[in-house]
Amino acid sequence: MAGLPNVRLNLPSRPENVLLVRQALRGLADTVALDAIELNDISTALSEACNNVVVHAYPGGQGPMVVEMQGSADGLEMLVRDRGHGLKPHASEPSEIGGIGIPVMLALADSVEFSAVNGEGTDVRMRFATPKGAVLAGQDGGEETSDEAVGELLVEADGGLEGVNGELESVHLAVGPPRLARAVLARVLAAVAARARFSTERIATTGPLAEQLVDHLAEPLQDRRLTLTATVAPRRLDLLVGPIPAESSLEGLTPALERLTDGHGVSRSGSTDLLALRLSDAGPEQASRKKNNGMPGDHGEPRRHTA
Amino acid sequence: MRQPDPRQLFIRWQRGGDPVAREALVQRYMPLARSLTRRYGRSSEPFEDLLQVASLGLLKAIDRYDLERGHPFQSFAVPTILGEMRRYFRDSGWAIHVPRGAQERALRVRDARERLANEHGHAPTVNQLAEYLEIDCEDVLDALQAIQAYETVSLDAPRPGSDEGAAAYGDSIGTDDERYELVELDATLSAVLGHIPARERLILRMRYVEDLTQSEIADRVGISQMQVSRLLRRSLDQLRSLTHAPAAAD
Repeated sequence: MAGLPNVRLNLPSRPENVLLVRQALRGLADTVALDAIELNDISTALSEACNNVVVHAYPGGQGPMVVEMQGSADGLEMLVRDRGHGLKPHASEPSEIGGIGIPVMLALADSVEFSAVNGEGTDVRMRFATPKGAVLAGQDGGEETSDEAVGELLVEADGGLEGVNGELESVHLAVGPPRLARAVLARVLAAVAARARFSTERIATTGPLAEQLVDHLAEPLQDRRLTLTATVAPRRLDLLVGPIPAESSLEGLTPALERLTDGHGVSRSGSTDLLALRLSDAGPEQASRKKNNGMPGDHGEPRRHTA
Repeated sequence: MRQPDPRQLFIRWQRGGDPVAREALVQRYMPLARSLTRRYGRSSEPFEDLLQVASLGLLKAIDRYDLERGHPFQSFAVPTILGEMRRYFRDSGWAIHVPRGAQERALRVRDARERLANEHGHAPTVNQLAEYLEIDCEDVLDALQAIQAYETVSLDAPRPGSDEGAAAYGDSIGTDDERYELVELDATLSAVLGHIPARERLILRMRYVEDLTQSEIADRVGISQMQVSRLLRRSLDQLRSLTHAPAAAD
């Protein structure tokens, strides 16, 4: 992979983040029109690789889990990386049922490579032969130079992971080209909104938000990757999205941000401008007040308000 | 109670034809089939159906495992069982009806969302919906995506072009799909196989263990493909009555 892959996720190695990986894969599957069996094969193998990271890479703790997805004329390639000790490919598994993760990956992928990164951490690289990967071929993030800003941002984000603990957690996504970003961003935003315990009503607004972000930020980026950093807290999401291609791109976007977010601004990260967004969901108390304002109440007369 | 050494069991079954040893091996490795079914079939239809397919794969693996090669049984059984499930998905048109199943689930999620919103005065969270419908959070998320995608079209109407697929799915549970029927039968049907005439047993074996097509079997046995089809049909009916399995037609 010369430039950035089509999808790059950097996540804390927690069990619930495997769901996020699968959701991103579903976005990719929708974009390249994988059939249900192809998706099920890749999703199962990818889940096994991720579960290995979650369970084995960082004994007694957590660390980064990086997942990359790349399409080519030959098929789709999935990379799962940890910085601990994700698996020992040559270890014999004496237990009866434990350790079926590797056989599952070997059975479902057309090829699997395990390699250690500089003696620390493990790469699992799986290839799935399908002509549908060609949809994303030749769109491997473009020239390295055009990715410098994004690359910087990712390095920074990687460093930021060390401090993740307790309630707050950040997830990072880089995705492109735009039509892939459309599907993947919608999936990932909905999933983190669900994690933040947003109501389904609020989650439904993340789809239109993803659309708007892709229209105004990703489309002008062309081959560069759209990046998202999402910090999840109870009933609150803080998003950094970028890079912002030009000042002017925000003009068209602002009305949608007014409608779909609870606060927006621009944040500078190195030489790159990012869009900072706050999404929140007040929860049942306020939601039920809102309901009584607009809809027939639970007790007797519908209330009428004149504004 | 101490479990017998699987190696001894393999020797007793594969060399001595001891059905008790085979049964013990099935018992021993059934958790493997179960675990693979859970992993591979997570967004699948009834778990039990797919577990039957996995069990068939397990039987195949137990019969074919080569002790002398020295590989652990799992490394041979996992691809065999997964292969069986993949083939089942392909043969049963799973790839076609899965989108339809997802659409039905989307409708249930949409209805539940409205019901819970009315009851509680606010829209439910994904977790609440998952709990209410007894499905995974992930399935709820998929359903929400589907709702969003279909919202402009009518969700209640069948998707354009899906009528045929739906009918095909219904039909595939009917009388024509022998494989489906076989897996419906108890996976431990080896005991009753003795009641089937030798030639039919051979044909069954070629079809379901060696995965030959009806035409290939016809060539080998020296009869017509139609005859193979009829014999398979008769054997399956016979097996069905022997195992008292419920009819497939519901």
